[in-house]
Amino acid sequence: MSVRDALTKEQVNRAADIPPEWLEEFEAAARRPLALRMRYAFIHTYKPVLDDATYRSFETMEEYRRWCEKNLPMWLGYARL
Amino acid sequence: MPAFEYRQAEEIRDAFARHRIRYLFIGKSGAILLGFPDTTQDADLFVERTAENGRALAQSLRELGFALTDAQASEIERGKDFIQLKNGPFDLDLIFAPDGIARFSDAWARHIEVEGFPVCHIDDIIASKAATNRQKDRESLPRLRAFREYWIGRPR
Repeated sequence: MSVRDALTKEQVNRAADIPPEWLEEFEAAARRPLALRMRYAFIHTYKPVLDDATYRSFETMEEYRRWCEKNLPMWLGYARL
Repeated sequence: MPAFEYRQAEEIRDAFARHRIRYLFIGKSGAILLGFPDTTQDADLFVERTAENGRALAQSLRELGFALTDAQASEIERGKDFIQLKNGPFDLDLIFAPDGIARFSDAWARHIEVEGFPVCHIDDIIASKAATNRQKDRESLPRLRAFREYWIGRPR
């Protein structure tokens, strides 16, 4: 039985706009226990600058965003668009 | 620093429950708890900013193994908007004022429990990422919105 066959009509309507490969991934994730989902999801790679201090704090979110834009490499994706 | 593990999430959940801390998983880590299949590095916690909650949070983090100076503990108690912790057994971001969510109580009213983990509703996670509008958020939003459509229609 395909994923779409197993869905209710309402779910099919909602799922209609979801790319099939994403829908398959969502269904596959839903079948996994949480501990396994987390094992697959949490990874660690070194992020330059960001990972070079053990503690940082910012009075406001705006201050944090500006710090990211000023100090982090653009390719990390922390700059606002 | 190894990757964040389920066991550590359980330690947070259990320690924070003992101290009656009001918090929610938010960001991609929250979405993952809801079932979103993706990758992330840190756990992000949206914490209610009250003096009592802040004191309990600092104490609980020390019990979990975070090496907080008195000055750092004081900042956590006070609830600075954003605090990044990499001085413990795992990395943790504490967010007291996430973009796109007006009040903690609003998010709490909508929150979802997943195996005892309090998690922001997917709409709040999306609203927060949309409001932040960083490149990395912009890239993840289409898939998150598709997951929302799937998740909303799914029996729980």
